[in-house]
Amino acid sequence: MADNDVLLQVNHLSKSFGKLSVLSDISTSFKKNEVVSIIGPSGGGKSTFLRCLNLLETPTAGEILFDGVNLCSPKVNLNVQRQRIGMVFQSFNLFNNMNIMRNLTEAPVSIKKMPKEEAEEKAVALLKRVGLEDKVSAYPSQLSGGQKQRIAIVRSLMMEPELMLFDEPTSALDPEMIGEVLDVMKDLAQSGMTMIVVTHEMRFARNVSGRTIFLAGGRIEEDKPSHELFDNPESPRLVSFLEKVL
Amino acid sequence: MGFLEVVVILVEKYHKFFLEGCKNTLILALFSVLIGTLGGTLLSLCRMSKFKPLKYIAVAIVEFVRGTPLMVQLMFIFYGLPMIGVTFPDISFIPNFSRFMAGVVAMSLNSSAYVSEIIRSGIQAVDPGQMEAARSIGFTYGESMRKVILPQAVKNILPALGNEFVTVIKESSIVSVIGIADLMFRTNDVIAVTYRSLQALLIAALLYFVMTFITGRLVSLAERKMKNGR
Repeated sequence: MADNDVLLQVNHLSKSFGKLSVLSDISTSFKKNEVVSIIGPSGGGKSTFLRCLNLLETPTAGEILFDGVNLCSPKVNLNVQRQRIGMVFQSFNLFNNMNIMRNLTEAPVSIKKMPKEEAEEKAVALLKRVGLEDKVSAYPSQLSGGQKQRIAIVRSLMMEPELMLFDEPTSALDPEMIGEVLDVMKDLAQSGMTMIVVTHEMRFARNVSGRTIFLAGGRIEEDKPSHELFDNPESPRLVSFLEKVL
Repeated sequence: MGFLEVVVILVEKYHKFFLEGCKNTLILALFSVLIGTLGGTLLSLCRMSKFKPLKYIAVAIVEFVRGTPLMVQLMFIFYGLPMIGVTFPDISFIPNFSRFMAGVVAMSLNSSAYVSEIIRSGIQAVDPGQMEAARSIGFTYGESMRKVILPQAVKNILPALGNEFVTVIKESSIVSVIGIADLMFRTNDVIAVTYRSLQALLIAALLYFVMTFITGRLVSLAERKMKNGR
């Protein structure tokens, strides 16, 4: 693995909430253009791990090197680094007080100083890609879950991130809406975006992501190319997990 | 003379007293809520500040004010403070200005404490995911507050502020004890002259009710408007 290909390097990451240890000594790395799924039982630390990667949770110990910058260092301007890392949440978290157009253009215009017209053109183009160009003036409360999530993905893309984090993006969706969101994510993966996806969608993990990490009890139990992990699970914990979910 | 006849006579003869009382009550309540809102905003900002001493001072003020009776606070400010030389000036063209000021200060201080809680809970009622989304896209804490959190919090805060106004109208009746000519004070005047306490108090109660009822309606009207518009 050539080091210059590595976009995100995690070294000895630990996180505890008070006395409860959620993550212990996790080390791994993510390469450019790689799509990695993180699977595992609830409470195993998947979401916490992902939220540590853009420091929504402050790690208790360890370091996170994003493109060579240690995000845990107090000298780093997190606001600048976060512009380069997109995040999609389970509960969408579109800005409820803004219509869709403003949801998409507010950050690029006010943070990146992109001209408003340019931002709006870009927003419309991206909305077309996800089939929601007719929703520009709608408010989040008027949209279905699947529509909200597709727009949340577009909101992240507006900032042209180098890395996208997905925190169980389909877990809050009605079954018939999961497909439309996964399709957008598949598209994104094929376009070469670097993605880290916490998910319960085993088919997505197996077929779309090149590599899958099985996280349980705050540790990486298994970390392999997806097909291998699903076809030849080694650790007993993974075997029993897969038996339950497949 | 029948009960209702007395009520009618009292209204006929003393309506000026009652109306002046209403006017003063409303002026006092309005000033108290306005100043209280400013003070409450300041207190809630201090309370949420990262600078610990500021935070603890604000918490102490809020807890103390909420945990002591308004009557005691009012007496403290009107009778207590002059003992150590703190007095409110008299302004010649406004009668009883120093009394009125003491009333406004006590009511505002009291209201500040409650308003600061209203604002704090209004902000905390906004889904934390909104802040996370704003921060993760690259907004600073201040930008996230200004662009995303506060516009949503205002919708929780404004109706509660209206209710605070209703509460202050009622609570303000207590300032009559330091001689501010509010509705309660003027009602006592009428009772002193006529000895018809039951009838006079009934009129006062109705007037208070009309004031709070109309304010309450206006508040829920504004609330509905805000729900429709975003």
